Amino acid sequence: LLHLLSVMTVVLGFEGSANKIGVGIIRDGEVLSNPRRTYITPPGQGFLPSDTARHHRAVILTVLKEALEQAGLKPADIDCVAYTKGPGMGAPLVTVALVARTVAQLWGKPLLGVNHCIGHIEMGRLITNANNPTVLYVSGGNTQVIAYSERRYRIFGETIDIAVGNCLDRFARVIKISNDPSPGYNIEQMAKKGSQYVELPYTVKGMDVSFSGILSYIEEAAHKMLSSGQCTAEDLCFSLQETLFSMLVEITERAMAHCGSQEVLIVGGVGCNLRLQEMMGVMCKERGAKLFATDERFCIDNGAMIAQAGWEMFRSGQVTELEDSWITQRYRTDEVEVTWRD
Amino acid sequence: MAALESETNNGTGKLEFSLDVPFPSSREAIIALQSLSPDREPRKGGISKQLTVSGSTLSVRWSADEARILRVSVNSFLDHLSLVLETMEMFGPPVSQ
Repeated sequence: LLHLLSVMTVVLGFEGSANKIGVGIIRDGEVLSNPRRTYITPPGQGFLPSDTARHHRAVILTVLKEALEQAGLKPADIDCVAYTKGPGMGAPLVTVALVARTVAQLWGKPLLGVNHCIGHIEMGRLITNANNPTVLYVSGGNTQVIAYSERRYRIFGETIDIAVGNCLDRFARVIKISNDPSPGYNIEQMAKKGSQYVELPYTVKGMDVSFSGILSYIEEAAHKMLSSGQCTAEDLCFSLQETLFSMLVEITERAMAHCGSQEVLIVGGVGCNLRLQEMMGVMCKERGAKLFATDERFCIDNGAMIAQAGWEMFRSGQVTELEDSWITQRYRTDEVEVTWRD
Repeated sequence: MAALESETNNGTGKLEFSLDVPFPSSREAIIALQSLSPDREPRKGGISKQLTVSGSTLSVRWSADEARILRVSVNSFLDHLSLVLETMEMFGPPVSQ
């Protein structure tokens, strides 16, 4: 172990569980490179698994080449190849795993399958230096409030139906907001120009949240209210954000009270929304707690986050054998034994 | 690069399909096998797929109940195979063991 600790460890990470494909390289907490591409669909359309996989297949090798070049490293300098094992969309996950397995074998390096959610948490901890935060993980596919206890990231609260980002994305499709650079970013910009608050259902159930009813309600109301001039699209963006984010702040605060935590870390693609960060900041200030968040480089899915979680796992002695390297669309955050924390 | 053949097995009533992929060496054939094997077929029943390596050739044999299911599996396998071959071209050859 002493020998291992005395040498720098370089981990290359592949991420492609949704519409982003990224390859990142981490050397002992330093991000050496982290290139990424996004599969952007036309307004009104979501991204389907097979089309997303085709996008990833077309660019993954170029992105890998970029990651090595930007880091100034050769394959021989890599100690371990990490990739997203799950959760996520099956076809895109397979695409990424295929390349990870192949290069690991070509280069004679160990392979490591990483839980995507753990990747977000470890990247957030690395970038912000948050020590033991209550984590709000919010993205297009996941909505969870997480706290660490006894070798697990435990889920204190979560969505009981769709993810908060999925609610935002699908609302964007209904009123044909552009998906470039992302529907959530465009909703955030439009919300700044909203002035009238349209009342929407508020659905917190204990520690959990529900977003599908809010989506159905606003889908139904949007066209009527917009065509009759009762409100603007900007008002709807504003009202939706205020409602969804209030719910998230409420369950995060409840988890903090439960754990006696004085730190909040926001991770996941929705986590780069500045209005969410602002609302969470107000709650934290009232409680004398500290808020940690990152920007779009590390909040949104990226390769470095998989490399970072992989780095922690690899240094604690984990590797994934090829025959165990299958991908899985369902993979809960609390299934992973956290062997790298006390 | 690949030899394809399809046949209906009268004995079992199953559709069968086999594919042979030549590689520069058995080492590369084994790498491809180990990259392409871990993931299970997304569909629960109605199809089985077996991968083997003999010398420097990777062989795949499918057995399916319906042509539709077979087509989906073979198409997706060919997409995966092309990606593995491209990866080998760009980031190979394998380092000496």
